[in-house]
Parts: sequence; C-alpha cells; structure tokens
Amino acid sequence: MRGGSHHHIGYQRDDRFVPCHHHPALLLEMVREQGLDDHKALRHTGLFPDDLLDTSARLSPRQYLQLVHNIRRLHPDPELGFRYGQTLLPGHYGAISTLLGNAAHLDQALITLEDYQPLITPLLAPRIIRTGEYCCVQWLDSCGAGNEYRFLVESMMSALASVTRWLSGGPLPWTFQFSYPQPDYPEHYQVYLGSQLYFEAQMDAMLIPAHYLNQPWPRGSHTARAVSEQQCQEQQLALGCDTSLVHQLYLALIERIREPPSLDTAARELGLSPATLKRKLKHHGTHFQDLLDRARKHTALHLLQFYGYNSEQVARYLRFNDNTNFRRSFKRWTGLTPSACQQLVDRAMTALKPL
Amino acid sequence: MWGFALHRWKWFALLTIASAILALNALTGTLKPMAEVVWLDIAGEGGAALLVLIWLALMLNSRPAGRVTNLLSLGLSGIFVAYWQDVMDEVIQLPTTIVWDHWLESGAMPVGMLLLTLGLYHWHKEQQAICDQLRKREKLFREHRDFDRLTPLTRAGYLREHLALASRRATPPLLLMMELPDFDADRRHLGEQDGQRLLQEVAELLLLNLRRDDLLCRYAGHRFAALLTDIDARQALDLARELEQAVAAFAFKSGQGRTHYSQLVVAITEAGADTPEAWLERANRDLDEVRRRRAANVAA
Repeated sequence: MRGGSHHHIGYQRDDRFVPCHHHPALLLEMVREQGLDDHKALRHTGLFPDDLLDTSARLSPRQYLQLVHNIRRLHPDPELGFRYGQTLLPGHYGAISTLLGNAAHLDQALITLEDYQPLITPLLAPRIIRTGEYCCVQWLDSCGAGNEYRFLVESMMSALASVTRWLSGGPLPWTFQFSYPQPDYPEHYQVYLGSQLYFEAQMDAMLIPAHYLNQPWPRGSHTARAVSEQQCQEQQLALGCDTSLVHQLYLALIERIREPPSLDTAARELGLSPATLKRKLKHHGTHFQDLLDRARKHTALHLLQFYGYNSEQVARYLRFNDNTNFRRSFKRWTGLTPSACQQLVDRAMTALKPL
Repeated sequence: MWGFALHRWKWFALLTIASAILALNALTGTLKPMAEVVWLDIAGEGGAALLVLIWLALMLNSRPAGRVTNLLSLGLSGIFVAYWQDVMDEVIQLPTTIVWDHWLESGAMPVGMLLLTLGLYHWHKEQQAICDQLRKREKLFREHRDFDRLTPLTRAGYLREHLALASRRATPPLLLMMELPDFDADRRHLGEQDGQRLLQEVAELLLLNLRRDDLLCRYAGHRFAALLTDIDARQALDLARELEQAVAAFAFKSGQGRTHYSQLVVAITEAGADTPEAWLERANRDLDEVRRRRAANVAA
C-alpha cells in the first residue's frame, strides 16, 4: 500500500485502501440501472470499469470523492444519497459486515462502527457520545469532503437509520440534527430518516435515548461476532491505523480540550515536522486552528445540549478567562450567542424526552 | 429513447431508394456542363433534403415502432425523395423522352405531404390517449423535471405546487399519505432490483384504483401521496380502504417467481387554513401516527 509507513498517523486523502468492490461499486451499480455510462462516472478517478470487479483494486478517499462528485453531476436526483445509504449497511464487505450484522444490541453496532471506521465508513467518521441519558452519534468529515459533505451525511445517516431498523426489528426513535439549513427536498429526509429533524443545529448527529442502547436484538450471534471481530482486527492492523489523520488529530484535541496542544506539540507527537503537518492538513482542506475551533465548538455544544451546562459553566470548563471572551469565540464558531444556541438545541432535546 | 436499431429497416429502405434514384439518373442521363449548373438551386434543394432527413431522424429517435411512426416516416421519405430528385435534376441532364423524373418530383411531394398529414392527425389522436392515461399522474400542466425516474409518477415538488392550487377550491381537498411500512425490510429481503420493481408496480396499482381526476405522486422513497378534490370524508375513507385492500391482495412476483405480499398504511388529511407546507407536515405526522398505531396493534 502506498504511504503505508505513514499510517500510524492516520490514513490520508491519497492513500489507496478503500476496496473498489465495496461502497464505490454499490454507488455505481445504483446509477447504472438508470443508464449511466461507466466511463463518464469514472472520469478523473483513475479507475477503469474492470477495477470494480477486481477484488484487489483499491481506491483512495480522493478517488472515491471524485466518483461521488461525477455521479452527483451526471445524476442530480437528491434521493440518490438516501437510496445509496439504505444499501450500504451492513453490506457485503466480509468480516466487518458479519460483525455489524450480528450485533446483539445498538451499543454493539455503534461500537463496531466506531472501532472499525476505516473498514466501513472511510469518508465520514462517527463519534459516539454517551451521556447517561442519551446517546449521540455525531458524523464528522474525515478526509475533506468539500461539496460532497452533505451527500455523505445523507447517505450515512440513512444507512445507520436503515440498518438499525432492520437489526432491531422495528424503527428506532432517532432525532436528527444538521449543521446546514433545510434543503429544498425535505421529503427525502422525512421518509428515509424520520420526522424529528432539526436543521441549522450546528452539528450533524443522530440522537436516541440511552435505554435503547442495550435492548437485545434478535439477530446477534456470539460465535459469528467473535470470529469476524478477529478478522476485522487483522484487517485494521494491516491498514496500520484506526482512522484518518484529520479525525485522529480532532479526537486528540477533544481529549485535551481544556489544555490543547500547540501545532508544534501536536506535530511532534505525530512524528512530523510542524511544516509537514501544516501541509498535510491543507491538503485535506483544513488547518490546525480550524480543527481546534471545531473541537472546542463541539465540546461546548455537547456540554450545553447533553449535560445541562450554562454558558458560564462551559466558559469555565474550556478555561476561558472571562465570559465576554467566551461569547465572542462562541459567536465565531457557531454564528450564535450561547443562549440562542441553547434555545435551539433545547428544541431538539424536548423531542428526545420520552413521552 | 428508441435507438437506431428499432428503425433500422426504415433507414435501409430509404438509403436503397436514394441510391436507386442516383443510379437511374447516372445511367440514363449525362452530367450538365459546369456553366449550366445553378449552385444556389443545389444548395436550396439539397439543404431542404438534408433538413427533411434531420426531421426524420429526430422523429424516429423519439418514437417506438407503430402505425403513426410508419405514416410519419413514409410522409417524410416521400418529401425527401422529391427533393432528392430535384437535386439530381440540377446536375444531370436526362433525355427529354424520359418522364419518370417528373413523376418523382411532382408525385412524391404531394403524396408525401398527404401521408405526413395523416400521420400527424393520428399522432394527435395518440397524444390525446396518452394524456388521458397520464391524467392521474399530472394535472393541468406538464413539467418534465418533476417526473420521477423510478415510477411513472410525478414527485413531491409537483405535489406542492398543486396543493397551493387545490386549497383555493370551494370544497376542501383531501390528501392521502400512503406508505409501505415494511418496505425497508422487504427491500433487503427481495434485493435492490425487485424492491424497485415492487415500488413501480404498487404505483401502477394505486393509479388503477384512484379516480380519474385524482393526482398521485411518489412523495419520496416508499411514500406516496394522492390529492383528492371534490370528495367528502366518507368517500375518501372508502377510497383509502380500497387502496389498502388492493395492495394487500396484490401478489407481487419476485425475480425468482416467488410471491410477495405487502401492506399499505393510509392517512387522510384535510386541507386547513394553513400553508401547503404546513398541510404536508400535518399529513406526514398523521401518517406517522397511523403507522405507530399499526405497530402497536401488531405487537399486541
């Protein structure tokens, strides 16, 4: 594999590791039924139609994103992302599909997604936040998706909603929260996801009351899980990383958000020079300060939304010297004052409260 | 789109006739001296012949085989033959004893025009019949961007425009929101292709059971919406039951020939004083409620 030696720092945009016959082939198959030409869909991806049948062919995140870009341009139906998502999970990707398909309960399914993210959702990383009362699955851009980001959110949310409905034997009461405004095709969100939708709500996340996490699911087979888990571990070991460079750094910042490392320290810990880290982040359409702001913003949101913190408590937690300073920063991250944001997330939370 | 293959024989026949005319002219006549050739005439008549060929290509490309297509192509071919002989006359001098060239020029044109007219008349009739069939799928105006790629129905955008129009009517219109509640599981069980086909066939089934003036659209995914005007609550309820029964009795055949049964849940929502968007939202909520009640019944 190209760039294999760098993998302890997380996979990057140009690392070829996504099997062509998994997600990319599914996407192509979906539009092929509509008479779309393979050659046009594969333009600038560096791929040939035969590669999709070759089980050893691998795609980089950049090539996968290019494929998504081409297909969305050739086939501009907004339903595509949702339909694509419905077919994604558990999928037929070998061990990881067996592992996910045999989850004994929701919590196990979510752990599988998070632990083996590169194998099952390489472009969008899930972060699971358990707060006691609620569980939040937040989706984060792992490779600089740019304009394809919304498509990825639509497909992964549709995928998780659909697979958990199937595995649990009935629809689960997810509440959906989006960072972007309501698109002009709300019908697909309503039908594929559900009626609890909150747009312009700062993050892309799916929420559910925590007591659904451990309700037993009918399909789980312990033996199948044990065997497939071992294979997944081996596959991930061969890949050499648990997630992407960008997501790994984001998680590291979240972990130490009260005393975040500087760019130099972060680079040193990754075994890179500051200039190299800078260049690599730029290649993924982001930079260090942007990631730090994102990590702080999300931490502040989670504290406000799930832990009932008020603005002053959040400011103190994030070690801001004074409230004015915090409010200014918060406004910069979210475009809102903390209290306006509080009201916004409260609406989503009331929908979550059991009837 | 109907490709070249379907109409291959028509093109072949026309090519043969055109070559035959060329051969006949070449064999019986002599080339005119350059000085006598009027280039403007050649350009005019040749251009006309070429345009007729383009019309023919466009027409054949957008039509299936059949009587109307045959009439239209015969008509256009006649006109083409007349122009083609015109072009020949400009460059080849035929002996005065020969009259068939005159017949080709003056005969093919009116016969072609007549056939074309006849074809257009039947095309008009055919269009009326198609419009009649499309009635429940599109009302009042046509907008091809709103057509669904999956089913022969329109999409939510088209419905939204019609909700606004319908809510201005004297009798309050009703909206039926319908869904196959088990579709997601069915799709996994049947496979992607059969799943899509199931949606298409259910769409046809719903169309067959609706009234002539009702508008049916695929709202999104496995959810359909029907807009009913001039109907009272009692009739609407009956209609909803009929749709449920029709879907429940429908024995869908999978690709392997296995029978698969589906259920339909229906919610009826009346237009209120609110906006079309709010009306749609109420309708979706009502459907959620119906689905929840059904799930509770199944569990009990």
